[in-house]
Amino acid sequence: MNPPSEPSNGEPEQLWIEEYLDGRISPADFEALQDRLAESPSFRATFRRYAALDSHLWERSSSEDDEAAMFAWESATPSPPLVAIARPRFVLRTAVPLAAAALAAFALGGALMGVLAPSGPAGSILPEASASGFAAIERLSDPVWPDDSGPRFEGDLVAGELFRLASGTAEIRFFSGASMIVEGPAEIALRSAWEAECRSGAVRMLVPPAARGFRLHGPDTEIVDLGTEFGLDVRDGTARVEVFDGEIALRHRGGPERLVEGGSAWELPASRTETPVDPEANRFPDPIALETGSSAQRATDFHRWTSYRDRLAADDRILAYYTFEEKAGLVPDLANRTGPLAGEHDGAIILAQQVDGRWPGLKPAMEFRRPGSRVRVRIDGEFHAFTFACWVRIDSLDRRYNALFLGDGYETGEPHWQIRDDGKMMLSVMVDDTRPSPYQPDDAGFHRVYFSPPMWDLSMSGRWLHLASVFDPENRRVSHYVDGVRIHRQEITDEYFIDHLRIGNAEIGNWGQPFREEPTFAIRNLNGRMGEIALFDAALADAEITELYEQSRAGKCANGR
Amino acid sequence: MPDQPDSFQPRTGDSYETFVSILAHYEPDLRRFIRSLLPTHADTDEVLQRTAIAIWRKFDQFDLETNFMKWACVVARYEALSYRRSMARDRLVFRDDVFDLLAEEGAAEEEQRKAEETALESCLEELPSKQRQLVTLAYTQGVKVVDLAEEAGASPEAFYMRLSRIRRSLLHCIESKVSRIDPTKATA
Repeated sequence: MNPPSEPSNGEPEQLWIEEYLDGRISPADFEALQDRLAESPSFRATFRRYAALDSHLWERSSSEDDEAAMFAWESATPSPPLVAIARPRFVLRTAVPLAAAALAAFALGGALMGVLAPSGPAGSILPEASASGFAAIERLSDPVWPDDSGPRFEGDLVAGELFRLASGTAEIRFFSGASMIVEGPAEIALRSAWEAECRSGAVRMLVPPAARGFRLHGPDTEIVDLGTEFGLDVRDGTARVEVFDGEIALRHRGGPERLVEGGSAWELPASRTETPVDPEANRFPDPIALETGSSAQRATDFHRWTSYRDRLAADDRILAYYTFEEKAGLVPDLANRTGPLAGEHDGAIILAQQVDGRWPGLKPAMEFRRPGSRVRVRIDGEFHAFTFACWVRIDSLDRRYNALFLGDGYETGEPHWQIRDDGKMMLSVMVDDTRPSPYQPDDAGFHRVYFSPPMWDLSMSGRWLHLASVFDPENRRVSHYVDGVRIHRQEITDEYFIDHLRIGNAEIGNWGQPFREEPTFAIRNLNGRMGEIALFDAALADAEITELYEQSRAGKCANGR
Repeated sequence: MPDQPDSFQPRTGDSYETFVSILAHYEPDLRRFIRSLLPTHADTDEVLQRTAIAIWRKFDQFDLETNFMKWACVVARYEALSYRRSMARDRLVFRDDVFDLLAEEGAAEEEQRKAEETALESCLEELPSKQRQLVTLAYTQGVKVVDLAEEAGASPEAFYMRLSRIRRSLLHCIESKVSRIDPTKATA
């Protein structure tokens, strides 16, 4: 590597690079620059480092705009859809007000820099954001999981693992495009987007043209799919393959390759060569039954949830309860439907969109993908504890702070409930907004953030989670829960004690800042959707949080979770 | 996928989703590569756009197990080349031999660049806050350095000089950090 030398050696040449990148190089210097580039490999390396820096800085300061633009693209009818990724900056050139604000900020000696600067400090930029997985669980019907393995959910990513199902049916969609329907009990080793091994159980493969060449291994057999639908059933070490449609190539016990066409079936014993048998299509999982099963399951779950909802709405400790069924731009607060406060806590929807929730077609959710999106509420009064509980599906944690429920501004007694980009849940209450922050002198006032351990990473993208946090001044503790399980508890020390709590104006899925006169705003929108959120003027106990989760969750698991 | 946002339905099967996630992941890297070949950010954006379209068109030919960036750089290079032909002669367009050298060597340095990008974030943190503000503003979209200079009561030359010093100290900082990173891990 050839770092730029400092200060004199190579100075003019480096200036050429910068002038070129800034678009202000003279024609003569541009020629000189090119000559120098042509002749010197190390100078070219230096040039590329400058260009990379230029690109990074530019990308970095415009990434906030990207988000807005990305959304604009997604919500427009994308035709063709691909324009998406690269297009953003051209779609939403909000640069003009931003630029004006930038100048204002500069003139004010950078007082507003926090608003303008990209949301996170260094640590928040992941070197390489990647989710591990080459397949996803598309659908589940009555799944029962082996005792020693945790439950899996629709939308989970899977990769390089032994997928085991005690009973029920699952559909696994490989990123190659191949789809596998598995009926338990089954053990499938997932090797890549293009390869899997059925150790036991019955599977049905649906391989579209894009996934031609997908390999499925039996105990002694390798099957290469040539674009088809076929089944493989492995019991007691003996396999049986049946082609429903199309063609496969199979090689049993290292023998010659055999092409098998639709309508035929072969037995594949461990001890001898393959033999033709009569087709028995009903040995294999049925996609129609899976579809019916999973929609029946959804209907049952939804029905169970509606009675939970009605019970919860009647709980007298509840402050507000939103399930995001939009009515004329509002989300009604179910908790106060009949009381004197009727309608007072209803939330106003701004840019957020009603989308499918946990039970598509049955229950909506609110999506906060767009940077300005939010649901605004106003909840007056003074409280002595808080419990927040919601069902949320996070697509990604794009922001340094990703909002769940935040009091506007951040005044004494107001809560901030959010998730940091490293997957940690955060709950804080402003203790005294007139004293400086213990963290940073120029940050908001005196408060402490209670972090959970990281509970989310990209592999969980798209999965519905039940999150809850409790601020409990009486017992002097803050607790965080995921899917009904407490993952963190921390003491509220004397210094940070506060038990006169307020909410006032607040937002779901974003943050309404104090700088209301400013056109710019901090971007904390949650990239994901929320199915429901409940606020209690009480500190719920562990068992009660677990109960909330159990009664509102979908599906069932063998291991009692 | 059962739960995709309504507006995000894959129109051409699952490969669309794979495409989107891969491209989203590599977009900064691709833009950086293209930036080294073309004079302005606007040109870079345009070619990035064309590259994305070209990649989508050819996506069914892409083997997911192979190196995406290597493949994408080939596509981007081609797109930059044909875009360059359409540009006015008086623009700051590299001649063929320089263009080819930069593209060739640039594609081979991808991993190094990736590590530098990571280092840049902490280097920015280490900058004195005034300098950090200045560089952030200079790269804010829609902001003209001339206007910034005027606002700050300085000549554009003086402003560019400050910017230049900041860039150099960033490059030095990046270099010192990256040399301490195991290159095999930086991109793991």
